Amino acid sequence: MTKVLTDARSIRIKGRSFLAVVLSPDLPVDEWLTRLDDLASRSAGFFLGRPVVLDVTDLEINRTQLMELIGELSNRNVSIMGIEGARPSILGPGMPPALKGGRPVSDEAVAKEPIIELRNSDVKPAAPEARAVLQSLVIREPVRSGQSVIFPEGDVTVIGSVASGAEIIAGGSVHIYGALRGRAMAGSIGNTAARIFCRKLEAELVAIDGIYKMAEDMAPGLRGQPVQCWLEGEAIMAETLI
Amino acid sequence: MGKVIVVTSGKGGVGKTTSTAALGAALAQRNERVVVVDFDVGLRNLDLVMGAERRVVYDLINVIQGEAKLSQALIRDKRLETLFLLPASQTRDKNNLTAEGVERVITELKRVFDWVICDSPAGIESGATHAMRHADVAVVVTNPEVSSVRDSDRIIGLLDAKTVKAERGERMEKHLLLTRYDASRAERGDMLKVDDVLEILSIPLLGIIPESMDVLRASNLGSPVTLADARSAPAMAYFDAARRLAGEALPITIPGEKRGIFDKIFGRKAA
Amino acid sequence: MSIFGLFRKQQSAPMARERLQVLLAHERASASTDLVAVLREEILAVIARHVEIDSDKVHIKIDRDENVSILEIDVEIPLAATAQAA
Repeated sequence: MTKVLTDARSIRIKGRSFLAVVLSPDLPVDEWLTRLDDLASRSAGFFLGRPVVLDVTDLEINRTQLMELIGELSNRNVSIMGIEGARPSILGPGMPPALKGGRPVSDEAVAKEPIIELRNSDVKPAAPEARAVLQSLVIREPVRSGQSVIFPEGDVTVIGSVASGAEIIAGGSVHIYGALRGRAMAGSIGNTAARIFCRKLEAELVAIDGIYKMAEDMAPGLRGQPVQCWLEGEAIMAETLI
Repeated sequence: MGKVIVVTSGKGGVGKTTSTAALGAALAQRNERVVVVDFDVGLRNLDLVMGAERRVVYDLINVIQGEAKLSQALIRDKRLETLFLLPASQTRDKNNLTAEGVERVITELKRVFDWVICDSPAGIESGATHAMRHADVAVVVTNPEVSSVRDSDRIIGLLDAKTVKAERGERMEKHLLLTRYDASRAERGDMLKVDDVLEILSIPLLGIIPESMDVLRASNLGSPVTLADARSAPAMAYFDAARRLAGEALPITIPGEKRGIFDKIFGRKAA
Repeated sequence: MSIFGLFRKQQSAPMARERLQVLLAHERASASTDLVAVLREEILAVIARHVEIDSDKVHIKIDRDENVSILEIDVEIPLAATAQAA
């Protein structure tokens, strides 16, 4: 059957590029999902409404496992718009389309707005410079008990104290120009080089790249002192600053 | 337009109601028109501390629900012409406190009074947020004791987030009122020092109220301490705090110490 | 506090006890029906049947005592209404 085209207008097809977040899981997938849940719990809504591409290059999984993985992600409200690096044999009908030719972009472009989640939406720290490739968050007032500053994109600097019951979670280093009485977590998305600096250490907990130290594990001599903490292997080291 | 003050603390039992009554009476004794408003719906006590518990006809909830006019619910103090109380409801559910209703009442009160002092309930729930919402100034009542200091810190965070002023991006004026300060315990080193509390909370100090039997006596009698015994140590401290609220710059004296805090900071002797 | 203070000031606890007794008696009694509130509404309803009441011109005062509650309702009746009644 042939249709007679009466409308002279053509269909417009255009190319356009968009920015997507790429997730690259590793094996075993269960453990990777656990780590993802952990990250999501610290920055809820990170994936919400964002285009996400699943990069399965060099990942040894079959079609069934891939289907399961996509299902698990969709249960977590992560909807996959495309799959990159998949062997044609593991793709099938009903799956997101295969993508290729993706180019890496700077982190800054992905996270246009920093994810700062203050549990009571308490203070709204100044938005960081959008142009900087490495981002910094500067908070010019004390962080109060019950407030939580989550900034996976880079360093957090607090000009003031961090109260008992408050927490700072940074992707990079944490700098506190005041007393640290609450919790500080640096390198929260896997940065072993991140450090924690404070003018007065009275912390409840310090953590770098998931390795943590409670108040009672810290050397008593450091209490009340200006201190920096860093990671050496699996141990948090700390020493007084001059 | 009057100024709206919220007296808040997070923690219960630190002296919010006592301080509301004492500051309210102190300001009214300067011939300024003052209303003290009880936001503790279901657990009202400001009427008792003010000695007006037998005279409550209508309350804040009645006014919000449109069952009474504001003028009918206001109770004039028997001792001070310019001091009024707007009591909370003892029997109604606190969910009757609506955002629009509170805003309307506060706006109306601001038009008539020089000072609208809101006595917040303890906690950080709706009652406390309603009480702080329209404040121009917050008086954070704190005891020199760890749990009170931490709760105050939490409340200061909320003041910077959940008030109309904060939402407009304006700076919320916050003052610390240190209550139940025991000079002898401080001397023995069994109590947080004033400087420690100030350093932790980093807001300016409005006053230090010494722990005193006079405060208890005053509430037994149903009279703000600034009225019951104006020459007592806590009353004098409240009078000074009220003067500072009104904008006067007065040096602060730590009870039990001869020298003012400023002398102490500069390390100078009186002579 | 000086020893003279002890003589000057009478004890405050008995006063506190008396105030609480009166208050709690009223609060317990009014948990079921607040008689005074009912009276207040009904009296105003009766007056409203005859004259238009401006709620701004109504002053209600109450004073509770150990044995009695005094309810004072002060209603300003406009001149026109008085003439009508006469």
